[in-house]
Amino acid sequence: MATDFWSSSHYKRWIVDRATLRQARSDDLQYVDNPEHLAFLNIFTANLISRLGKKLSLRQRVVATATVFFRRFYVKNSYCETDPFIVAAACCYVAAKAEESPVHIKNVVSEARALFSEYGIKTFPSDNSKLAEMEFYLVDELECDLTVFHPYRTLTTLVGKGAHAASQAEAGEAEDSPRYWGTGEGKLELSEPAIQTAWFIINDTYRSELCLLYPPHLIAIAAIYLTLVFNANTRATLQASTSATAAQHSQSDPARRSSRSSSSSSKKQAQPPDLIGWMAGLNVSMSLVATIAQEMIALYALWDRYNEDGGPDQARAAAAMAASLRGAQSHRGARTAKGSSTRSGSVPSGSGTGSNAETPESKDDGTPSEVVTPMFLVQLLLRMREARMADLAHPASGRPVAINKMLERTQAAG
Amino acid sequence: MMDEWSSGNILLNDPMRIYRAKRDAARKRVTDKYAILGFISSGTYGRVYKAQSKESDGRIHAIKKFKPDKEGDVVTYTGISQSAIREIALNREISHENIVALKEVILEDKSIYMVFEYAEHDFLQVIHHHSQTLRSSITQPVLKSLTYQLLNGLLYLHEAHIIHRDLKPANILITSSGVVKIGDLGLARLTHQPLQPLHVGDKVVVTIWYRAPELLLGAKHYNKSVDIWAVGCVMAELASLRPIFKGEEAKLDSKKNVPFQKDQLLKIFEVLGTPSERDWPKIKELPEYQSMKRLDHYTNRLAEWCQSRVRLNGADLLARLFAYDPDKRLTAAEALRHKWFQEEPLPTRNAFESLQAHQVPPHRRITQDDAPSMMPMAAAGSQVQAQMSQVQATAQAHLSQQLSHSHSNHSKAGSAASFASLSGGAGAGAHTRKKARLG
Repeated sequence: MATDFWSSSHYKRWIVDRATLRQARSDDLQYVDNPEHLAFLNIFTANLISRLGKKLSLRQRVVATATVFFRRFYVKNSYCETDPFIVAAACCYVAAKAEESPVHIKNVVSEARALFSEYGIKTFPSDNSKLAEMEFYLVDELECDLTVFHPYRTLTTLVGKGAHAASQAEAGEAEDSPRYWGTGEGKLELSEPAIQTAWFIINDTYRSELCLLYPPHLIAIAAIYLTLVFNANTRATLQASTSATAAQHSQSDPARRSSRSSSSSSKKQAQPPDLIGWMAGLNVSMSLVATIAQEMIALYALWDRYNEDGGPDQARAAAAMAASLRGAQSHRGARTAKGSSTRSGSVPSGSGTGSNAETPESKDDGTPSEVVTPMFLVQLLLRMREARMADLAHPASGRPVAINKMLERTQAAG
Repeated sequence: MMDEWSSGNILLNDPMRIYRAKRDAARKRVTDKYAILGFISSGTYGRVYKAQSKESDGRIHAIKKFKPDKEGDVVTYTGISQSAIREIALNREISHENIVALKEVILEDKSIYMVFEYAEHDFLQVIHHHSQTLRSSITQPVLKSLTYQLLNGLLYLHEAHIIHRDLKPANILITSSGVVKIGDLGLARLTHQPLQPLHVGDKVVVTIWYRAPELLLGAKHYNKSVDIWAVGCVMAELASLRPIFKGEEAKLDSKKNVPFQKDQLLKIFEVLGTPSERDWPKIKELPEYQSMKRLDHYTNRLAEWCQSRVRLNGADLLARLFAYDPDKRLTAAEALRHKWFQEEPLPTRNAFESLQAHQVPPHRRITQDDAPSMMPMAAAGSQVQAQMSQVQATAQAHLSQQLSHSHSNHSKAGSAASFASLSGGAGAGAHTRKKARLG
């Protein structure tokens, strides 16, 4: 298990295809005006779990596991029939246990109540047993598969930096387990700020459904790839968005030193060929890595239009990075062969109404400059649920669905 | 139209009501799928039942029912216990011939039912059968096969970065076809990149008689070699039919500080001698080193102990499993390559292959639950009733062989282990085997 991703429950049961994700959202799509809003929900819910995790002093890996649990829950359920807030709280509670750093149920209930009330959620039960009950349903939905693999581990393995690895493994055995995806043996030497960037990009992937679609090692490699693109083109932004000391570091020390290029003068020039060699040595599908990278860029474009007022610092940093990444993408657009055309939609949009997040101008439904806020999404969730319940309350009325928005859109499209 | 929907208030206050109704309707209950045949054992975690699948194969299973996690005597429900989460999470990922296989988990009415493959015997019962009924030692082929298969299962766990942390005869099962199955991963955990040091979650691990010296000396950092020590203890117990280091556990004080385990260490030193800094350089750094130095000095008498119990290469293996320094202790892989396993008689896949019918231990004893509310048995059909009375008859037949039983004496034993501590007085045995689960 810990050694072998390919025999894990994660790989065997929880890497799903896009058709499954589309099916999972089919009920929800009936109740939203714009399918893109469901993609915003992914950002919103990940931020929500992250904020609750911070209040509970959960480590990043626990937050990541909680988010994966949440995504898995909604592979099998609809937003319009459930309350994502109590699901999110239960995900944090179970993830803390599953990652062997449990928190008391009382703390989860009180922190969740306080946090969710900021979003106007008054229905979160104060009774511990309600959360415990949700935990039960959640574990059942998860089919008791509670061990999750994350890209962080691949990152620390590949960049081979002591700092991260040591803090992760402080109490365990420092065993080198074989990497599980191939025979590449090179390690990439990254500067501390670059590793930080890759780490943050991985954090950001949980704002999408990538963790359901791709094995974690590919996500990690895509994050490293984006880091390199990002560092080469927009060092200034890097320096702005990282701490002062870290920025100093990256000034004196180029963002990335290859283990193979020794002379400091040729660093910038040496990067692309070196990277290609290193990537090739990993023996993974580069087209998948490129797809993931594209989806990340699409996520950042979407995120750019999401305004989490008073959100955590990280969100702002990420938004800044998103802007720069978008810049990087438009620069490189011509060179990265397949570009945006291969992106088959991380946004779980209905067929035919595919919203191209990275080219908002081309959308025909919704204003390009629309900025989505958490409160808008909270209202959306409530409206979806109310409409769904109204539909379920009148099953035999000849109007099985009050207004099928998906149908409307399809008809409007001709 | 909105008036019609005024009942929606309920749904707004309890937004998950529809979800729960849907799920509850779809859920199959334990008694829909299994007929409960009887009760096997109980422990701190809950109870184990023998059950028959209502599917056409009619396969026999062991169903472990976890007690809801309670805080002290307060009855407020606080969710699934850490131990259950561990056991469920680990079992879902692993699959090996020498590990008890989890068939499914059923969540129902705040209780968790883990459905395992059924194993007719366990190491404790085999030991008991030899000491009480056959009054002869376990033969070399059986001893070797059981030890080999135990190590083989442990190798799998260790390669998956899982430390078992509670290996003892009662937790090591054997099927009727003589295949060893390591069970009870309730204390086991992943050691790969832990977010917290291992000692944070559980202050005390491993039942005292099987606890490695580094743990007894208060080590905060330990590794899978604690399981290897326990294998040594189990192998020695198979060879001599009684626990090799049968110490008295010093209890946690009121502040739940872990006390110095003087008696258990002395029991070890009496056989293996007092550890020296030469054998184990890092011993000086252990918290209880100073306390240990105040104990009487002993010399190693393991060779003497082994005489008439384990011969030559078997004794050599045991000595290496009992290396004081965790770094020098054999790993599971090294132990499996030991020359004892290369020489005749070779270990067999059916550990009982060499035995005659009467030498094979009797079937697991099951009883009728004295707490019927724990598992509704009324649902069982008449066919099952017939089976149950048959089972009862079998149980009666075996009753005379059993002097004590953890279930009937109502002691709060840490596990089913307690029913075998006959030679040392059942009450005391149950007591010392108790293992604290904190955090």
